[in-house]
Amino acid sequence: MIVAQQKPLEETRRMLAPYERVLILGCGTCMTVCDAGGEREVSYLHSALRVAQAKGGNGTHTFAEYTVKRQCDREFLEPLADRVKDIDAVLSLGCGIGVQALAERFPDMPVLPGVNTSFMGMAKEWGVWDERCAACGDCRLEDTAGICPITRCAKGILNGPCAGTKNGKCEANKDMDCAWVLIYKRLERLQQLDKMRRYYPPRNFRAIPRPKRIVSKASLNAGGGNG
Amino acid sequence: MISRTKDSAQGYRPNQMQKNTPDHSLMPPCQAACPLQMEIREYIDLIAQGRTMEAMQVIRSGNPFPSICAYVCTHPCEDACRRSQVDKPVAIRALKRFAVEFGGDRMVQAEAETTHPEKVAIIGSGPAGLACAYYLRRRGYPVTVFEAHSELGGMLRVGIPQYRLPRQVLDTEVQRLTQMGVEIRTNTRVVSLGLLFDLGYKAIFITIGAHQSLRIGIDGEEGPGVIDGATFLREVNLGFKPSLGERVAVVGGGNVAIDVARTAARLGARKVTILYRRTRAEMPANPEEIEQALEEGIEIQYLVTPTRITRENSHLSVTCVKMELGEPDSSGRRRPVPVQGSDFSIKFDTLIAAIGQAPQAPGDFHVRIGKGSTIQVDPATLTTNRAGVFAGGDAVTGPATVTEALAAGRLAASRIDDYLQHRYPLPTREGRESLVGDLSPETIETIRKIGRFEPQILPPETRAKDFGVVECVYDWQAAVEESRRCLRCGMGAEILFQDKCASCLTCLRVCPYHVPYLDTIGTVRIPVDQCQACGVCVAECPARAIVLRKPYDRRQITEELNHTLKSAAESNLKPFIIGFCCQYGLFGTGTLASLWRKTGAGIWIVPVLCVAKVEADHILNAFEKGAEGVFIAGCGEQCARENTTEWVQQRVEKVRKTLKEVGLEPERLQAFTMKNANEDIALQMEKFSERIGNLYLASIIMQEVKK
Repeated sequence: MIVAQQKPLEETRRMLAPYERVLILGCGTCMTVCDAGGEREVSYLHSALRVAQAKGGNGTHTFAEYTVKRQCDREFLEPLADRVKDIDAVLSLGCGIGVQALAERFPDMPVLPGVNTSFMGMAKEWGVWDERCAACGDCRLEDTAGICPITRCAKGILNGPCAGTKNGKCEANKDMDCAWVLIYKRLERLQQLDKMRRYYPPRNFRAIPRPKRIVSKASLNAGGGNG
Repeated sequence: MISRTKDSAQGYRPNQMQKNTPDHSLMPPCQAACPLQMEIREYIDLIAQGRTMEAMQVIRSGNPFPSICAYVCTHPCEDACRRSQVDKPVAIRALKRFAVEFGGDRMVQAEAETTHPEKVAIIGSGPAGLACAYYLRRRGYPVTVFEAHSELGGMLRVGIPQYRLPRQVLDTEVQRLTQMGVEIRTNTRVVSLGLLFDLGYKAIFITIGAHQSLRIGIDGEEGPGVIDGATFLREVNLGFKPSLGERVAVVGGGNVAIDVARTAARLGARKVTILYRRTRAEMPANPEEIEQALEEGIEIQYLVTPTRITRENSHLSVTCVKMELGEPDSSGRRRPVPVQGSDFSIKFDTLIAAIGQAPQAPGDFHVRIGKGSTIQVDPATLTTNRAGVFAGGDAVTGPATVTEALAAGRLAASRIDDYLQHRYPLPTREGRESLVGDLSPETIETIRKIGRFEPQILPPETRAKDFGVVECVYDWQAAVEESRRCLRCGMGAEILFQDKCASCLTCLRVCPYHVPYLDTIGTVRIPVDQCQACGVCVAECPARAIVLRKPYDRRQITEELNHTLKSAAESNLKPFIIGFCCQYGLFGTGTLASLWRKTGAGIWIVPVLCVAKVEADHILNAFEKGAEGVFIAGCGEQCARENTTEWVQQRVEKVRKTLKEVGLEPERLQAFTMKNANEDIALQMEKFSERIGNLYLASIIMQEVKK
């Protein structure tokens, strides 16, 4: 799941300043789960903006709110087609993908990000989220017992632990587990400690072409053949 | 599409409560068990909020004679109460009595208008007859009640002893019927139905009760010194004082036997002995009544049955035989079998046989009689074999409870109405799904145990002397605390908008009772039979997919907030402070009202049913609408729910952060915990409104300076 955090209210208000009629748009998937932009947070931000306007008074905005199931697929955005006619900007509480999908679907409409898309992760408990994947495109979790050193080691090193590990914690943050100690312990449980002895060559950082694209459908062009 | 739309430009606010928000709640087990299907959960909840008058109205809407039920109901609701799986059932009958006594029942004026010409005759003025008269009168029929005795009430008058049902209570209810225009004919025994039809009555309801005592069938039963239970109670209740002598035997183990024994003791019998042929476990009488009888010095001899009565110098010598329990009989109880050669005899002055009663319909009624001399009717329509003749109550069922008789009377009224209006009988009540299923051991473990508050009972040495009422009524505090034990079965949370649910599992993580779960295909389920309706998941759901089955959640709070803001707009008191206050217990507005009057600020209270349901959004809305300060007052440790204070703190912190971001002082928002008889809260409140007052003054000054 993608995890994000709402932007500070001040920043949001600065972004909104030029626009009079603003649609606050929530996303019913990841942003709902991570509590950054579901229907409830849309409503809360709406209230907060109105309080700010009542107390501070920079400009007279009018707000509308709406939540779609998923902002990152254009089909879900179709119900907005009529609504965007009456507004000057969309404040998206979707992740960065949602913001871009909106911008693509509504080329004439300013789309503002209401959240900072932070990482891919999971809930540790109610109200606490942890990063788990960096989407590096070169997964080595088989070698590291299902614990990702790229995201969970402060240095992201492939041949750990480094000398900064102490009592299983990281020198960068004493409250944070050392990913490589976790990897060691789990490999021990799995009786695969030999994997610790291996040397892992550095990842290839050189030529990762961006933006990436994955095509899963077969090419059916004439002469292409499909088996 | 998964969301409603709102445009603030048009003044339309989010999650505004729709008119007539549907009540999806399931019928709780108490209501399903009640012959009258009274809305018990609803009135218990109102008592818990201190809204006794409204509780009384709810009770009255489902029961023609609530004050009678408040004394004598056998409360099948309490037997069904699921609180008994946690500790003990809610004391529903005693709470009803509290509502009746303190809810202004005596002020209720019953009125009725005659809108139909068809006259209806009711034979018998027991609970079924009176209830039928009440409901027919309300439907606009002229009604005449015929009663063979000198006073109305049937078994309520001649069967139930005064210490269980004071006569003023009965008189008040009867008086109301007279006020409604019910014609009363006492001392009038009806012998022929044809005569009534000749007199112009279009329908007749036979509710003659079951007054005929069954005989034991032993030698010596006929003669002086032996009397039957029904006759004995009738005589005492109509003001006679039968001479009993010193030693009284009562034969039987039902409620009548206990009533007879306790009445005999009150008449001055020195020794009262109940002879019962089975053991205490099989005794059909109400266990509390048995206990109270024992406390009053009544002796119960189990596994004993009389076989012969002989008379010696105006005393009785009763030969008894000991019994033992054999195989179960048709009633499921083990059949008592005499033990050979265990005869013994005891001396008594009087023997009262209370082994059962049966109806006795006059032969000239020409109605079909079935098993146990009862009148045969169609159970759905209460019609007998004669056109226009209906029957109900004990005369049809054999001896049963007051509440069942009231229900029969009510049913009869609607069936007689159908008959007179030539309608096909319609179901009286739309079918509502009832809650079934027990609480799981895991849920039971997480529910806070709160002991049942029993109403006070007069000490045996005081009460056994006269016919005064034995049980005292609750005081205000005990009633409120007892009613807060209700688990609100069937009101729980439901995922109303399943398509909105993002399966985020917040509800699983926040539920204090661990009720929501993921089913095998990955859908979140909130089983209604386990949910305790605390509302935490409703407020925490980021998708707003969950609601309570009865709109006691954000919708109620939003509505109350808007209502309060409307009233506040007409006032100019400054500073303007809004308080979200728990309504349960004695900690709601009642206590607060005395606190804020001193402060002189414009404090407006938004009543909420548990502060854990107040969402961050509600708090911000209050600020948006001009509140200078907002506080949340929960009942804290008195709360019947779990961790409510923590949830309030979570939301307070969230809003404080936002307040800071918009340039307002975070201390404008405070959470208070109300505690019983705690002076601190008054001081805290005063300090809070003073601080808000200062902030308000400062802001005025700042504005002036800017100008």
